[in-house]
Amino acid sequence: MSGKLMVFGLSYRTAPLAVRERLAVGEEQVPADLRGLVQDAGLHEGVLLSTCNRVELVATSDDPEKSAQAALAYFNARVAPEQVDGCVYRYVGQDAARHLFRVTSGLDSMVLGEPQILGQVKEAFAVAQRTGTVGTLLGRSFERGFSVAKRVRTETGVAAGNVSVSSIACDLAEKIFGELTGRRVLIVGAGKMSEVAARSLTSRGARLFVVNRSPERAQALAEACGGQARPLEALATELAEADVVISSTAKQDYIITYELMQGVCKMRRHKPIFLIDIAVPRDIDPRVDSLRNVFLYDMDDLQKVSRENMAARERAVVTAEQMIDAELAELERWLRSVELTPTIVALRERVRGLLHAELEKTLSKLGVPDKDRRQLEAMCEAMANKLLHQPLTALKQAQTDHAGVELVEAVQRLFQLQVDGNAQARTASEPAVAADPALAAASSPRSDGSGPSG
Amino acid sequence: MTLPTLLFVATALAYVAAGALFFAHLRSGGEKLSGFAARALGVAIALHVSFLAADYALSGRAPLATVHQTLDVLSLVIAVGFLASMRRHRLPVLGAFITPVTLLLFLAAALRGQSARVPEGVRSLLLPFHIIVNVLGLAAFALAFAVAVAYVIQEQLLRKRQVGGVFQRLPALDVLDALGFRLVTIGFPLFTLGVVTGSIWAARLGNGLSFSTGQGFGVLAWIFFACVLLSRAAGGWSGRRAAIGTMLGFLCAMAAIGGYVLRSVGG
Repeated sequence: MSGKLMVFGLSYRTAPLAVRERLAVGEEQVPADLRGLVQDAGLHEGVLLSTCNRVELVATSDDPEKSAQAALAYFNARVAPEQVDGCVYRYVGQDAARHLFRVTSGLDSMVLGEPQILGQVKEAFAVAQRTGTVGTLLGRSFERGFSVAKRVRTETGVAAGNVSVSSIACDLAEKIFGELTGRRVLIVGAGKMSEVAARSLTSRGARLFVVNRSPERAQALAEACGGQARPLEALATELAEADVVISSTAKQDYIITYELMQGVCKMRRHKPIFLIDIAVPRDIDPRVDSLRNVFLYDMDDLQKVSRENMAARERAVVTAEQMIDAELAELERWLRSVELTPTIVALRERVRGLLHAELEKTLSKLGVPDKDRRQLEAMCEAMANKLLHQPLTALKQAQTDHAGVELVEAVQRLFQLQVDGNAQARTASEPAVAADPALAAASSPRSDGSGPSG
Repeated sequence: MTLPTLLFVATALAYVAAGALFFAHLRSGGEKLSGFAARALGVAIALHVSFLAADYALSGRAPLATVHQTLDVLSLVIAVGFLASMRRHRLPVLGAFITPVTLLLFLAAALRGQSARVPEGVRSLLLPFHIIVNVLGLAAFALAFAVAVAYVIQEQLLRKRQVGGVFQRLPALDVLDALGFRLVTIGFPLFTLGVVTGSIWAARLGNGLSFSTGQGFGVLAWIFFACVLLSRAAGGWSGRRAAIGTMLGFLCAMAAIGGYVLRSVGG
C-alpha cells in the first residue's frame, strides 16, 4: 500500500489566537504526539508543525479522510469541537504539496515573506526525523520545499525590504551612517515601541542612552537594553552628541522644537543626525527636517516605507508561485517515476521480451512444428512468471516499509527500465497501486498492516 | 579607417557599454550586472591603452605633449583609479556616475586642433611636472565628483522618502561623505602644485598671456576645493554642502580644461 500526501491543521487565517494557543504543541511534547498520531490516524509518515501562527500535521496516509478524522479527534482532545469546527483545513495530494511549499516559502505567513517560518519547518522536520516518522515521500517533499523556499528568498523580492517599523528605522539609520557600531542612539521616552527599536539598534553595535521624564523608567529601559540613563534636563546636550534619536513620549506638544534643534545643530557643528518620531501626537517639530544634515522620519513616513516594501513583496508573489508550480511538477514527475505499477509492467515486459526474443531466434533455426512451438512459448511464459514471482512479491511487500521507493529505483537501475514521470501504464490485470497517480507514494515507514495489494 | 581611429571608436563604445551596464546595475541591482559592467570597463581600459600606444607609435606624439593627450591620459587614470578602488570599497554602483565622466573626457580629447602643442617658449622641465600633478589631482577630483553626485542623489531620495531600489543600492550617506572627503584631500595638494606651477609658467611667459578664462576657472576650482577642505576642518561643511562644493569645483576645473581645448581647437 502506498500513501498520499496530506496536510491537516489550522492557522491564523482560519483560527483565532484563543484556539491556536491551546493547540500549540510544546517542543518536548512533539515526538510523543507524533507517535500517537501515526498510530491512531493510520499514517505512514508524519511531521507536526507548531508555531504561534499555525498547528499543522503534514503526513502520508492511505486514507486521508480517515486520518483527518483521527487528527481532528487529537485536536478535540484539547479544544472543544465547536471551537475547532470550521477552523481546520485539509489538503490532499498536490494541494497538500503546494500548501507545504507555500508555507515553507513564507507565502502563507502573516507577514508575507518573513524568514522565521523556514527555520521552524526545518526544526519540525528534524524532530520528526529523530522520532522516526519520516520516510521517503515526506523526506522528498520537505527537501523540495526547502529548496524552493531558498530560491523564492534569493531570486524573488518576496522577502526583500523590511516591513516592520523598527527594522525599517534601523535600516535607514544604516543607510545614513553606514556601520552602526559605536554610534550613539538616544531614546527619548521609555515606551514599548522605543524598546523594540532600541534593541535592534544595539544588536547592530550602537551605544544606547535613555532620557525620560521618570528617571526610574529611564533606568529600567537602559538596564534592559544595556544602555545608560540620562536626566531629561540633559536633552539638549544629549541631542548634540547623538547620531540616531528615537522619540516616543506621551507629551501633547513638541519635546524637540525647531528652536531647540537649531541650537543643537550649532552645538554639533551640523553633523548628520537621524530623528525618528514614533510618538502620536508627534514629539518633534516637523520643520526640523529642513535643517542641514537633519533627517526626520515620523510614524507616517515609516509606515509609508513599510507599505511600499510590502507592495513590492506582493508583486513578487506571482514569480514565487511560478517557482512553486515548477517544483510541484518536478515532485510529481518523481512520484510517477517511482510508482510501483509502471515499474512492474516494465519489468515484466523486459523479461518476457528477452525470453521470447531468444526463443524466436532458436525456433527460426530449428523449424519446429506449430504444436511444439505453442508449447515452447507457453514454457517461456511460465519461465518468465516463475522468474518474476519472487522479485515482484518482494517489491510489493516493500511498499509497506521504508525500502519501497529505494527498491523500485534499484530495480529500475538493475534492469535499465525507462519509467518516465508521465507514464500512466496500468492494465486491468494490474491493480492500481494508488488512486491518485500524481501524489501516490510507493513508500511508507509504517504499515497499517493491510499488506500489499495484488 | 586607420588603426588608431578604429581603436578610438572601440574604446568609446566599450566605455558606453560599461556605463550602460553600471547604470542598469544602479537601476535594478543584481550582482551579475555589476560583474559585466566591471569587465566591460576593463575591456575599455585595455582598448584605451592600445589606442594611446597606437597613436604614439603612428604619430610620434608623446603622451601628455598636448592638452588633448593629457585629457586622454586623465580619462584613463580615472577609469583605472575607479576600477581599483571599486574592488577595495565594493562600490560598483558609482560606476554609473564615473564612467560618463571618463567617456566625456575621452571624447573631448578627440577634439584635436591644429595648434594643440604647447608653445615652445613655455616648455621647460616644469611642464611635465605641471601636467602630471594636474592629471593625478583632477583624476581624484573626478572620482570625488562622482561620489558627490551619488551623495546628493542619495540625500534627495532620503528627504523625499523614496528609500526603495536606488536608495538601497547606493552606499550610505556617511560612507559617501567620507570617501568624497578623502578623494578631495588626495587631489587638493596635487592640484595646488598644478596651479602653482601653472602660475610660475604664466608669469615667466610674461606679456604673451593675459589672465585667460581657463586660468580663471582653474583658480575658481582651487578656491572651491579649498573651501570644502577648510570648512570641513572648521566644522559645518559636511554632507550636502561639501558635495555641492566638490561638484562645483570639479565643473570649474573642467571648464578650465574646456577653455584650453576649445582655444587650441579654434586656434
